[in-house]
Amino acid sequence: MSEPEVSLALGHGAVLEESPFGIESKKLVMWLFIVADAATFGALLFGYGYLRVGSPNWIRPFAFIPTILNGMVMTAVLLTSSLTMLAAVGAAQAGRRGAGVRWLGVTAVLGIVFAALHLREWFNLFAQGWSPSTNPMGGSVLFGGTFFGITGLHLLHVVCGVVAILLVALAFRRGRLDAGHVETTGLYWHFVDLVWMFVFPLVYLMNAR
Amino acid sequence: MAAMESTPVPGMRLYVIVWVALLLIVGAEVALTYAGLPTKTLLYALLTLAVVEAGLGVMYFMHLKYERRTLFWSLIPALIFVFIMMNQFWSDAYRLRSLHQ
Repeated sequence: MSEPEVSLALGHGAVLEESPFGIESKKLVMWLFIVADAATFGALLFGYGYLRVGSPNWIRPFAFIPTILNGMVMTAVLLTSSLTMLAAVGAAQAGRRGAGVRWLGVTAVLGIVFAALHLREWFNLFAQGWSPSTNPMGGSVLFGGTFFGITGLHLLHVVCGVVAILLVALAFRRGRLDAGHVETTGLYWHFVDLVWMFVFPLVYLMNAR
Repeated sequence: MAAMESTPVPGMRLYVIVWVALLLIVGAEVALTYAGLPTKTLLYALLTLAVVEAGLGVMYFMHLKYERRTLFWSLIPALIFVFIMMNQFWSDAYRLRSLHQ
């Protein structure tokens, strides 16, 4: 049942007035979530900046190989997954259901690759003695807390995004969801990509040796 | 009742151009990191490039450029205002640093 039909069935005549934004409610709600989540990540990054400025013994632990190079590969993977998500949305809107599902699958695989690269990096750091509360190189222990906190929250978003994409792909293939749902999921995925555009330079590059 | 508008979707060609631009910006960020710039200069340069990347992502990948202006004006200025307000805390961070030195 479409949004206007639901409104009619519920007797909500006022809801049938044209939306001032000209988009479906689910898309508007996703935008509101994105703005709120952007403020959350913004607060975390400002908190990281605060601690960094306030700590005279802050260290820059990341060498080009492996960390920065790994971060570059992760960034390229995530950016490419945004492109495949756009292909999925385009196919879904054009009514090519099979192609839409396939592109969603490729996007999910790229998300999994990103998460795997991220976890590999984390475990390398753990093996070197890093943790959210320990710093094997000396200097401020706050580095681990901010690094694992910010990248961990982003990784959580990626994992949730992969799960959402797979669920939407399954339901879209069965005809239970429409192109609008694929587009709304795409909005979330692009946001995850966009957050990384700030995390990579501020958390990785600003801590490069 | 006016029907809900479907967002006009630009072709994949434009998306690929934006994708290449984003990859080039990432490359530029890494190059700047190893250019030996002072920390503050590097921070401002990286932040500027990140904002450009975010702008490209929001306007093209997230289609905000193709939505009604009301959506842009309802969302983006409020978010920018929040980020501007967060800058109040820097003076306290510098105070903390001076206490430790």
